[in-house]
Amino acid sequence: MAKVSLLNLRKQFGSAVAVSDFSLDIEDGELVAFLGPSGCGKTTTLRMIAGFIDPTAGRILIGDTDVTTVPVHKRNTGMVFQRYALFPHMTVAHNVSFGLEMRKIDAAERDRRINLALDMVRMSEYRDRYPRQLSGGQQQRVAIARALAIEPKVFLLDEPLSNLDAKLRLEVRDEIRALQQRLGLTTVFVTHDQEEALALSDRMAIMHDGKVQQVGTPDSLYEKPANLFVADFLGKMSFFEGHRSADSTFLTQAGTTLKVDGMTDRAQCIGVRPERISLSSAPELDNSLHATVESVAYLGANIDVALIDQQGQKISCHLPNTQAYQRGVPIKPGSIFYANFLGSDCVVFTDLDRA
Amino acid sequence: MSQGVTASGSSRLGMSLAFPASIVVLLIIMVPILLMFRYSFNEFDPRTMMKEGFTLQNYINFFTDSYYRKVFTDTLSVAAICTLLALVMGFPVAYFLAKTQTRFKSILIILLVFPLMVGNVVRAAGWMVILGNAGAVNALLIWLGVIAEPLKLLYTPLAVVIGTTAVVLPFMILTLQSVLEGIDFAVEEAARNLGANQFTTFFRVILPIAAPGVAAGTMLVFILCMNAYATPVLLGGSGITMMAPSLYGQIAKASNWPFGSSMALILVVATMTIALTSSWLIHRRYVKTMTS
Repeated sequence: MAKVSLLNLRKQFGSAVAVSDFSLDIEDGELVAFLGPSGCGKTTTLRMIAGFIDPTAGRILIGDTDVTTVPVHKRNTGMVFQRYALFPHMTVAHNVSFGLEMRKIDAAERDRRINLALDMVRMSEYRDRYPRQLSGGQQQRVAIARALAIEPKVFLLDEPLSNLDAKLRLEVRDEIRALQQRLGLTTVFVTHDQEEALALSDRMAIMHDGKVQQVGTPDSLYEKPANLFVADFLGKMSFFEGHRSADSTFLTQAGTTLKVDGMTDRAQCIGVRPERISLSSAPELDNSLHATVESVAYLGANIDVALIDQQGQKISCHLPNTQAYQRGVPIKPGSIFYANFLGSDCVVFTDLDRA
Repeated sequence: MSQGVTASGSSRLGMSLAFPASIVVLLIIMVPILLMFRYSFNEFDPRTMMKEGFTLQNYINFFTDSYYRKVFTDTLSVAAICTLLALVMGFPVAYFLAKTQTRFKSILIILLVFPLMVGNVVRAAGWMVILGNAGAVNALLIWLGVIAEPLKLLYTPLAVVIGTTAVVLPFMILTLQSVLEGIDFAVEEAARNLGANQFTTFFRVILPIAAPGVAAGTMLVFILCMNAYATPVLLGGSGITMMAPSLYGQIAKASNWPFGSSMALILVVATMTIALTSSWLIHRRYVKTMTS
């Protein structure tokens, strides 16, 4: 496995900029997720790494080699496609064998590596089946085995879980992660599913409109989003627009004063994650907003509560089941609570550009 | 439950409605062939034309006469060459049509279908204008100074091959395209990603997956070529004789129905045998593996 470096990568289709100025170092054995809404440039970037798309500008390094102009079939990347792209006219074993044959590996060694790859994904007993005789999850495993059998320098996954049903998706997700860590694979994983990216990755790059918004570990991105787009894309947040009024004090447009840690002069907006907000019948903590419940969504382990305060400010609150149902007061539309959060739970934003 | 009854009821109604028409179609197709089959064992009598009998003499005459053997092998050769040319020229076009994202795709397909709206005779006449001694090709070559005397292009096997290929090419392209359309071209990228160059990708991935289309297109086009009539007559002239014009001559001009019938049956059997065998071979090689 090898380190991958993207240097000022740019791709234009005509006048449309798909990716602009993308620089990132992916460490040896690291899993980086490219996350963003459709059309953000994540797949284009992945395809540039694989060599299917030539960058308009910038360079791609795999290991110490500049591969920017190296054709696809000489790049030695192992890619798993969204719809698996197994060869329908070949058995499972032949699918896995294909890349090895291209590398002119002799029959005995080929057989050893086919077995190894299929064992790895627990598909050995299906080696003589054809792709159409397999379920979606099994096809996915074969696609992974096929990509890994060639011992690629980089493992590339293009939305590999999007065609699987919910339960299988979790299973395969965990398998991919376990495999990636066991083999120390340098991996790029493209997804539009934030939960998937959070659960899988060492680091994630959030993209929007062809630009990287923020790169970091899942927790740092979730806890300290750099801008409103990242905050909004990675889960929910209650936003309060306004400005700094004094040290550690933020005055919202609606006229509420909030105690906020880490305040800066240029603060334009404050965000609070829903699970940081608690509900009570008397004011608690640094900030307490008197608010009416608008709607309640019961999610099993958690309860989503949408509230609106007296100034018309929307607040969303995410309570664990135990906490929501231990209190004497039932949470239902129309009930009135204090929504409480700490100054340290606030994230300060200096721009209002959410889209 | 009631829906099931309605469905099977309506399908039974459909079958009973289709039955009379099917019988008529079957008669229209089968009776002439069966009659011909019977006639081919009759004897030819110059006075009464045809004498009832049961002899293999017509078949023996056909295969022992070097003239007819040549007609037969020329027909096979022309059909094989035209089919191969149509496949080689048609595949890239069909491939392009299947993969293209252009919004002009429907216009391109209409352009492809357009020649089918013009009869073979009219198109052959067009080729005569192009290939004749005073035709476009010779005029251009003389004007360029490449040749001094016009080349004999018309009334040659070459003219028949060109004309016939032009006739069957749209059929080949449309058949191939309909199959290529169904291919998920991500397999091409997968093959490239695994280390295959474009050449290997084509021969080891795309072609095998397209095999059902190749089999269908080859079979259809080969049958059309074997039975070509107008194009060989108009472009081949006396330079080459093919089966369909030759057997027509036997029946209509020489009034030798038994011999003409035996030629027709030889043509049908040869066409069917070769078309079905080659298609079966392609299926065995590529298709069976995908559907088993």
